[in-house]
Amino acid sequence: MSIEIQHLSRHYGATRAVDGFSLQLDDSVQVLALIGPSGGGKSTLLRLLGGLEVPDSGTIRLDGKELPHSEDGLREFRKRNGFLFQSFNLFPHLSALENIVLPLVEVHGWTRDRARDRAQEVVERFGMSAHLGKMPAELSGGQQQRIALARSMAHEPALLLLDEPTSALDPEMKAEVLDVVEELCQAGQRIILSTHEMGFARSCADEVVFLARGQLVESGKGETLFTSPKTEVVRSFLGKVMKW
Amino acid sequence: MLKYLISTVVSVVLLTTFCFVLWVVASHDYHWEAIRPYWGNLISGWWVTLLVSAAALVLSVVIGVLLTGGQLSGHRLPSVLCRIFVEFIRGTPLLTQILIGYYLIANSVGWDSRFGVGVVVLSCFSAAYLSEIFRGGIESIPRSQWLSARAIGFTGWQTYRFVVIPQAIRRVLPASAGQFANLIKDSSLLFVISVHEFTMQSREINANSYSTFEAYLPLIFGYFLLTFPISLLSRYLENRFRYEH
Ligand SMILES: Nc1ncnc2c1ncn2[C@@H]1O[C@H](COP(=O)(O)OP(=O)(O)O)[C@@H](O)[C@H]1O
Ligand SMILES: [Mg+2]
Repeated sequence: MSIEIQHLSRHYGATRAVDGFSLQLDDSVQVLALIGPSGGGKSTLLRLLGGLEVPDSGTIRLDGKELPHSEDGLREFRKRNGFLFQSFNLFPHLSALENIVLPLVEVHGWTRDRARDRAQEVVERFGMSAHLGKMPAELSGGQQQRIALARSMAHEPALLLLDEPTSALDPEMKAEVLDVVEELCQAGQRIILSTHEMGFARSCADEVVFLARGQLVESGKGETLFTSPKTEVVRSFLGKVMKW
Repeated sequence: MLKYLISTVVSVVLLTTFCFVLWVVASHDYHWEAIRPYWGNLISGWWVTLLVSAAALVLSVVIGVLLTGGQLSGHRLPSVLCRIFVEFIRGTPLLTQILIGYYLIANSVGWDSRFGVGVVVLSCFSAAYLSEIFRGGIESIPRSQWLSARAIGFTGWQTYRFVVIPQAIRRVLPASAGQFANLIKDSSLLFVISVHEFTMQSREINANSYSTFEAYLPLIFGYFLLTFPISLLSRYLENRFRYEH
């Protein structure tokens, strides 16, 4: 995907969540992973990229087009993308099926029949067909996250943004969800994700960006960044997270 | 040990009170024939209370929703105005509001329907409390739900309609039902502007027939007959809106 981010900043009071972040990627990158310490600004950067927030300064260009600034423009932009948060994505008063169908019908203007067929198709692909009629509270964390993922990609988003999609899950459930994400990567879906799963970032991402204190510390191909980090910060971070 | 002691004391006190009341009611020498000529008045009073309450219930929900909407609109003027209205109503006695509403405000615009004014004042009073309940319900919906709705591409209105309100309704049901029961009981204050509702009829019967017990006892059952169905309905709806399973 072609991304051009220039001097992007987003501050919350005195906290510089994203602080003069710049990055340029060309079309050869299909999957981008953001890694780094907690509080480093990954979630904020994803919200900015997804049009959920507006930067204080700086610009983002996706495929050559600058992100809109107006709320209406941003909503149109969000409709084209998909977003998955760490947890609590689903609407608890709607069944798994309704969670997927509702946006297709109300946001994308599909007929109910078409939306239901699509929901069934996506959920089957994620191995969740048996759970379509259940309420979110009846699903495990991993199942909830897979249904939420199905919802975020059912309309075939141009770009899928995943914010630590497995951080709230048990190891076994992490694997369930990562399998599905990997399958999406294989299928050519454009994805930007933040993650603490270093193995996953290394094997699936075309480009890895290390983010700390709102700034880009180091970026590069997974192989290079993980095997021979250039900066001490990255080396010590990787040392810590890979130790166990 | 303390728990045991408290529950024993509470049980004894309640049981004693209950028996005493039962004994007073049962041992009274009733003369139902004394109020026989007034049964019609009593029933018409009950009917008036039912009508006033039903009308005020509907109107108070409408006004309550508007007050909540005004406060959450994000626009400064309506938000401040609604806030002032709510605080003012909640900070003054209903009795005063009824008197001022009828003798000052309604009079000055030449509106003379005691029933109508009663319904409007009662509605405004109840709406102020309802709007606080509604606002609390909406604000209790977690941030993650709003954010998910935004990420999906819902407009503000769609977020309310499909995500926030359906979840908030269940949360506000019990408190709203309580407020509806209050409204029914509060309607008894309309006697000050001579609305011939249930309590007023009883008072008049008591005055005319000198039969205190016979005049007031039906009130208990009459009001309970109105409030209990609300409590049942609320419980039924709560179960219907339950989405955990
Ligand atoms: N909505 C917000 N209001 C205030 N501070 C925030 C908000 N979102 C993030 N922050 C702060 O910004 C910094 C970066 O947070 P975040 O983007 O969540 O980092 P990460 O996802 O890498 O853990 C943190 O210090 C966090 O406390
Ligand atoms: Mg985060």
